Amino acid sequence: MPMEPPPAPPGGAGSAASPTPPTPPAGQAAATPSADDRLQAPRLTPWLGVTGLLLLATLLAAAFVQVRQGALLNMAVLYQDDYVVLNLYQLETEYLRLREQMRHEPDADKAEALQLRYDIFVSRVGLLDGERAHRLLSATPVAAQAIQALNAFIRNADRWLGPGSSASLPPHATAALLAELAHLDGPLRRLMLEATHQVAAQITARQASVNQHNAIGLALTGFLSFMVLVFAVVALRQMRAQGERHRRLQALADELRDARMAADAANQAKSDFLADMSHELRTPLHGLVGMLSLLRGAPGQPQADAWLATAEDSARHLQELLDDILDLNKLESGALALLPAPVHLATLVREVQALLQPAAHAKGLGLLAELDPALPPQVWLDATRVRQVLFNLLTNAVKYSDSGAVVLRCARGQADDATPQLVFDVVDSGIGIDPDTLSRLFYRFSRAEDPLARQKAGAGLGLAISRKLARLMGGEVTARSAPGAGSMFRFTCPLRVAEAVGTPAAAQPGGQVHPLRVLVADDHPVNRMVMQAQLERLGHTCTLAEDGEQALALATAQAFDLVLMDVHMPVMNGYEAMAALRALPAPGGRCCIVALTADVFAETRQRCLNAGADDVLTKPLALPGLQALLVQRFGQEPLG
Amino acid sequence: MMYRRQFLSLSAVLAGVPHPARALAPPGGRVVLKVTGQVKQTNQEGAAAFDMAMLERLPQARLTTRTPWFSAPRSFTGPLLRDVLAAAGAQGSRLRATALNAYSVEIPVDDTRRWDVVLARLLDDKPMPVREKGPLFIIYPFDNHAELRNSVYYSRCPWQLTLIDVQ
Repeated sequence: MPMEPPPAPPGGAGSAASPTPPTPPAGQAAATPSADDRLQAPRLTPWLGVTGLLLLATLLAAAFVQVRQGALLNMAVLYQDDYVVLNLYQLETEYLRLREQMRHEPDADKAEALQLRYDIFVSRVGLLDGERAHRLLSATPVAAQAIQALNAFIRNADRWLGPGSSASLPPHATAALLAELAHLDGPLRRLMLEATHQVAAQITARQASVNQHNAIGLALTGFLSFMVLVFAVVALRQMRAQGERHRRLQALADELRDARMAADAANQAKSDFLADMSHELRTPLHGLVGMLSLLRGAPGQPQADAWLATAEDSARHLQELLDDILDLNKLESGALALLPAPVHLATLVREVQALLQPAAHAKGLGLLAELDPALPPQVWLDATRVRQVLFNLLTNAVKYSDSGAVVLRCARGQADDATPQLVFDVVDSGIGIDPDTLSRLFYRFSRAEDPLARQKAGAGLGLAISRKLARLMGGEVTARSAPGAGSMFRFTCPLRVAEAVGTPAAAQPGGQVHPLRVLVADDHPVNRMVMQAQLERLGHTCTLAEDGEQALALATAQAFDLVLMDVHMPVMNGYEAMAALRALPAPGGRCCIVALTADVFAETRQRCLNAGADDVLTKPLALPGLQALLVQRFGQEPLG
Repeated sequence: MMYRRQFLSLSAVLAGVPHPARALAPPGGRVVLKVTGQVKQTNQEGAAAFDMAMLERLPQARLTTRTPWFSAPRSFTGPLLRDVLAAAGAQGSRLRATALNAYSVEIPVDDTRRWDVVLARLLDDKPMPVREKGPLFIIYPFDNHAELRNSVYYSRCPWQLTLIDVQ
């Protein structure tokens, strides 16, 4: 039964297999502290809460004051203290009316009128007993006295005028009541004054109370305004922080999107490169295989030499291509380290010219080299890499020219910031380059697509490598051209004058090397076979080892002049073997060890040197390379 | 309380019924209230005069409320003021109510429609003598409507009422 993979948890490890999600899994964001910091929510919320609570409390307090004020007002309305005074005025009016009525001669009509006036008067006096009047007036003895006097009068008068009394008022009683009424004049007046004063005092007290409430209300309003302001500020800050956070998130999302796009682009570029590469490699490989199968079918044919030459050509082309790829890889991974040394310029130019001369001559082209006499004789350069760039540029110039001449001009120049520069111009009279192609020229595999140019072989990596090398040196490679008008490629690099150390010892091409005992350690049988054939052709004896352990055993048993050590081997790798070799007593531990590696990284080279290698070379090592190595290492030795 | 409310609503229904145009009978007893001015039903020269019996024959309302004039809630009984005005065929929009002591106040007729304003003739079911603010007392239903509990409406409650002039 096939095992179904468990459903991937959201944002978990399962997402690695799925198409890249638009947003990163949560765990990823948490893993990077900077992103985490950036996404942290601002800690303002407690302040907002505290301010909000204070605001609420203040609002409640303000509401309480308002309610109190309202109650105070209502109390004033309910008790109607002002009305007591009005009532007293009316009481006085009724008092005067009653007195007036009593002074009239009594008759039947008048008696009824008097009764009415008296009743009204009594009803007015009754109001003084009311709760409010009592509250206002009871505090003063004046009021008490007056009310007593009034009540006393009513008690007397009620004998004739009260409810239920049917007796008519006799004249003597009228006179007595009138006299009594006259005595009420003083107390009534005092009562009225007293009430007026009391009311005034009460109004003042109420006003003070209202003022106090107003003050409290005002203070509360002020505080409320302040709290609202604080609340607004806090809220605003929170909003800003939120906005800022949102902006950061947006920026982060943009960054992630850009990074993803860049990664996609890089991935696409790699795929493109691989596709191109496969195509580029297949062409010479087909040539090689085709020629070899022809040779195998008919070894004695007269065309055999031509087929062999084509096969060799294809193989060399294949090797160049691989070298270029390795160089490019080194350059792009930043693993390529320059090794500047004092270089004799004239020699360098001459060497390059000499290298290209045969190719130019074969096409009937002139190849000229001009050296500015103003240039110092010795400069600091990585000669190998400068040679590589010049070789590239000149190879292209020769390749794309069918007549005329190719000129290499070396002169002194100045960069934009006035630092002195070494300027190499490679001018040809070739087919030229259209502007569109010119703009793509320095990207890998952007070979001229022109049908004319298509005929010319070339990987298209040369210019990309040249430019990268130039930039690594602190210089640049630029091109100027027009179709049919030839091209000019300019390679610049910083000019650093070196102390003149005299003419460098010229390498001795074809220097004699005495027969050497060479130990070759390589796990690949073809490599071993090639190496053995090459060494034996050069007249050296060759012993083969399949891994480090075998090599170590052999080196312990017998002495060798040179050990060619592959780095990657089973059982015991090259590093361990080299270190073990160096640990051997002389002469075994003293022999020359050259490490061979297929990879290109500076750290690999350094690791080899640390393990005890005298030199590090890149595989595959062709015959000229091997020869050069042997001459360099053993050529100076006087012939035995 | 329930009783009173039902009574009030009943009287409100009765008040809504248009009175047939019947002449106001002349007062049999002592006149306690005169309605003058724009009145159609007159039984005296330019006035609709009412004695206690006439007021008693109108639908009665009983209203218990607190007032500024008494320290405790008292109950007031009497016809609704709007019924009295209807009985007098009053046509105006303002009333000038005058008391025995010549106190007078203006009352919008609209008040009598919005609230059940009582023309009280009984205080705690007893007739009010003049010395106890009688015989008639206009009373607004203060306890039922908070908006009435202020000086404006207190002042519209004349006691010892004797004359209403319709304007």
